[in-house]
Amino acid sequence: MITHAIFFYFFSIIAIFSALMVITSRSTINSVFFLILDFISVGCLFIMIGAEFLGMILLIVYVGAVAVLFLFVVMMLNVSDQKQSWFMGKKSTHIPAGLLFSVLIFLELLVVVGGWKYKDNLMSSSTLNLNSEYSNTHEIGNVMYTEYFLYFQISGIILLLSMIGAILLTYSKRENLKRQSYIDQISREKLTAVELKEVPFEKGVKVDD
Amino acid sequence: MNNISALYPEVFLSLGIMSVLMIGVFIKNSYNLVNKLCLSILFITIAIIFNSLDNSEKVFLGSFSKDKFSDFIKILILVSSIFVLSTTQNFINNIKISKFEYPILILLSILGMFFMVSANDLILFYLGLELQSLALYILASINRSDLRSTESGIKYFVLSALSSGLLLYGCSLLYGFTGSTNYEIIQTQLSDNNIGALFATVFIIVGLAFKVSAVPFHMWTPDVYEGSPTSVTNFFAVVPKIAGIAVIIRFMDVPFKMILSEWQLIVIFLSIASMILGAVAAIGQTNIKRLLAYSSIGHIGYILAGISTGEINGYSSSIIYLTIYVIMNLGAFSCLYFMRVNSSYTETIDDLSGLSRNNPFLAFAFLIIFFSLAGIPPLGGFFAKFYVFIAVIESELYFLAIVGLITTVISAFYYLKIIKLIYFDDNKREFDQVKDLNSSTVMIISCIFLATLFLYPSIFNNIIISIFNI
Repeated sequence: MITHAIFFYFFSIIAIFSALMVITSRSTINSVFFLILDFISVGCLFIMIGAEFLGMILLIVYVGAVAVLFLFVVMMLNVSDQKQSWFMGKKSTHIPAGLLFSVLIFLELLVVVGGWKYKDNLMSSSTLNLNSEYSNTHEIGNVMYTEYFLYFQISGIILLLSMIGAILLTYSKRENLKRQSYIDQISREKLTAVELKEVPFEKGVKVDD
Repeated sequence: MNNISALYPEVFLSLGIMSVLMIGVFIKNSYNLVNKLCLSILFITIAIIFNSLDNSEKVFLGSFSKDKFSDFIKILILVSSIFVLSTTQNFINNIKISKFEYPILILLSILGMFFMVSANDLILFYLGLELQSLALYILASINRSDLRSTESGIKYFVLSALSSGLLLYGCSLLYGFTGSTNYEIIQTQLSDNNIGALFATVFIIVGLAFKVSAVPFHMWTPDVYEGSPTSVTNFFAVVPKIAGIAVIIRFMDVPFKMILSEWQLIVIFLSIASMILGAVAAIGQTNIKRLLAYSSIGHIGYILAGISTGEINGYSSSIIYLTIYVIMNLGAFSCLYFMRVNSSYTETIDDLSGLSRNNPFLAFAFLIIFFSLAGIPPLGGFFAKFYVFIAVIESELYFLAIVGLITTVISAFYYLKIIKLIYFDDNKREFDQVKDLNSSTVMIISCIFLATLFLYPSIFNNIIISIFNI
């Protein structure tokens, strides 16, 4: 129980600290990195209460996709008011801090995955009433396409709608644009492409006449 | 086993949307074709709903409820959307935003509203709400080249996302304190002692009040109404309001039924504030779309007054008010499509002055519709207010009734000011002669309905009272 409490406070303190840093840190890029740290810590908390599917989804979706997307957007927009970007600056004061947090994240993952894989009751606070025969993922899969099928489908329609909206609001068809046509290029034959002409002496020929 | 037949209207609507989307993608310049196809989809959906009017059941673990109430609201949504879609076709073509996605987005938001009004579960309700509002954000900013349209879309998106956040916060609190997302189980778990859940209901009411633009959550309405293209404003002013009011009634009637004394005061406050602001703030407006925005805020106040009684009589009077409100607004907006000067649409009220001299027919339509919006006796708007006030007085909320009557008088001022402008002022501008069969048909239908309702004013009452046997 004590190990459980220690790990719980470890993860929650990191989560709260990094959440605070997201909104107080001056550099937007640092904010995004703290957001990633926050997601990872919360994911670990989810795994601790036995919701390993939710924790992993948080890692894959939020850290893997959303936060990285944020990072790209922030780097591309050049929104930060700082004079130099942190990874190319003259002073390399960021490297120790960066290393520290990478080690922290690695440690978190090591502890939580190790504890979850090799010692079942190391950290589990067992607040969830689970049928031990199935895993979480199995349970979710059971109801996702049966009882919650309607929600699943509506979520799909919402995604479709957001796609339509994104295309409608950003895509503009440019008229009078000459595009390459690979089909035309490949299907050209020697007969149509090359024309042999008799060149009269001292007169030349007009091309494209 | 789930009986999918309760979902036939929704299934048909979504399949229709997918196929029409494909048609729109592969046929070039297909706005007019897609618009007609969407109209026919809506007609067929009405037929499907009529086909199974009598059975009511709950499917998918009781999360989707098909009953008379939802059927009635769905038919109201469909009929008003048919009117909106058919009147807007000319307008869309004229201001050159004829993109085939426009009717498809409207259909998608209708699909979301269907799930909202049928929802018997917080998750389904929220998914429906998201589907509906996401389509509305896109619709608001559909005129990309117009700065005001883009601005209104962004404004609507940011504020609406905030209110969705509040709503979701309330939903999760409610789930935490009652242990279920199902409306009926929440009803049994909610009591005056469950403080946490009561706290959650406040958030939900705030979120819902935002969606129907009740004061003090109305700030987005005038800007969005003014900025969006008139056709989109027409849709905004009518259809999402139906769904929003229906959802509020369902929330009050099912999950919050046992805690009437807790939410009644909040709804009374929303109602009084909306009525007062709708009446006072509209006076200084010069843009007719802004004026209609404030007028719709006022009307939402009267509808909420009916809801605040917490009784079936009050709910049904609200639904009657809503139905008549929809008809009045459809008429009012179809009049706006005739306000064209030098082939561009105008929105300022001053342009209406002296309209009766060169366009007596349009002037008369404005007369009937604005008199009706003001609630002048023989017209339809009077009966709407009449039923609401009767319900309010029957449940002894005298203060609410008095405020309602006073604000009716105040709001009559600005409606009458426009009538005066049309009939007694000098002619300033001459409108183009517009031939628009669809808009004039809707205008005529609306005027005839409002003018002849006094012959049989209880036409809706029996139907609407029967739908409340949930």
